[in-house]
Amino acid sequence: MKKYSLLAIFIICTAGLFAQDNAGSTAQDTKDEINFTTETFESTRILNGHSIERLDPGQLDFRISHRFGTLNSGAYNFFGLDQSNIHLSLEYGITKWLMTGVGRGNYEKTFDGFTKFSVLRQSTGSRVMPVSVSVVTSAAMNTLKWTDPTRTNYFSSRLSYVGQVLIARKFGDFLSLQVTPSYVHRNLVATELDPNDLYSIGIGGRIKLTNMISLDAEYYYLLNPTKYMSQKVYNPLSLGVDIYTGGHTFQLFFTNSQAMIEKGFIGETTGSWTKGDIRFGFNISRIFVLHYPDQK
Amino acid sequence: MKRIILSVSGVIALILIFSSCYYDNEEALYPSLNQTCDTTNVTFNATIVPLLSDYCYSCHSNTTAASAGNNIRLQDYADVVANAVMIQGSIKHTGSYSPMPKNGGMLPACQISQFDKWISNGMLNN
Repeated sequence: MKKYSLLAIFIICTAGLFAQDNAGSTAQDTKDEINFTTETFESTRILNGHSIERLDPGQLDFRISHRFGTLNSGAYNFFGLDQSNIHLSLEYGITKWLMTGVGRGNYEKTFDGFTKFSVLRQSTGSRVMPVSVSVVTSAAMNTLKWTDPTRTNYFSSRLSYVGQVLIARKFGDFLSLQVTPSYVHRNLVATELDPNDLYSIGIGGRIKLTNMISLDAEYYYLLNPTKYMSQKVYNPLSLGVDIYTGGHTFQLFFTNSQAMIEKGFIGETTGSWTKGDIRFGFNISRIFVLHYPDQK
Repeated sequence: MKRIILSVSGVIALILIFSSCYYDNEEALYPSLNQTCDTTNVTFNATIVPLLSDYCYSCHSNTTAASAGNNIRLQDYADVVANAVMIQGSIKHTGSYSPMPKNGGMLPACQISQFDKWISNGMLNN
């Protein structure tokens, strides 16, 4: 835990050294125009969690994500590649400031849906805005068979909700950082000692190496874990690369979390980096343009 | 106009989604059935030993404690008396002691109150 906190502090502190105030602007800043910063991140996800990026209106994104087994499961399981957790989703940009998506993962056989609103966009020129801010709300439904069908089971027990505020800033062309205060609500938890509400702070960043390749890191710090929960949970840390090839974005990374939805990776990451419970994972994003926005 | 309609419907959707928040946990939602809870005839040999045997000895017997039970023995009378307060805290999941049984739900409420009763009777070896 301490190690992770130190790492997070290190990332934040060193970020300041690179910070330069020419965010996203190769074009000259004319005073009567607003120059919005674009491409703060390559994709709508940093690695596990949402990034500030949205889809443009009319774009449909088909995402295929995998998390394999743990590296320390040994050569017999081909270092985890024999097992696979899958998440498929379809996401769509409705307007310039709103996108939505639905998905299904085999982690707890979960269906999930989310909406992401842009509230502020980083800009220079006639309106100077230092950060971009978006809000993500999502709901997930676990569809596992009830462990005990004889007791009175409630539909509400399957549901969990997430609210996140994404605050991101692009420092120059190559560095972007994001802070993500997050709230996860589980309607049903196992014991009285498990909090129904989980609060956490996510920190994510991207360093762009070339036009095609960038490095990503993402960490969520759980603010209110109780000492004795029904399972020992760790903070999720993910490190990887983005490879961008026109219509496709590939994200290849290592992470200690198994799930690909916020409820799972924030609150139910049972693997520990220090114990070697590290999983290889990838996201593939294929964007289809269904219609071009009206030219005005 | 389109923007206003979208924002309003977005807010309504959010209200609908978050209005169905519950704060349930399985322990409180599904308490074990205990219509016939006998807390009058609680004895060490007839009540407490079977309880410990059912829930604790897989890790905390004299033979398993060293390897699985963090060296906490709950088999002999003297050991149970010495650890009684800790057992009470662990099985009630109060947060001050590691909750037991490990990775399982709480004991049936009846057996917890039987354990309380045995302590309040003076932890007799009967």
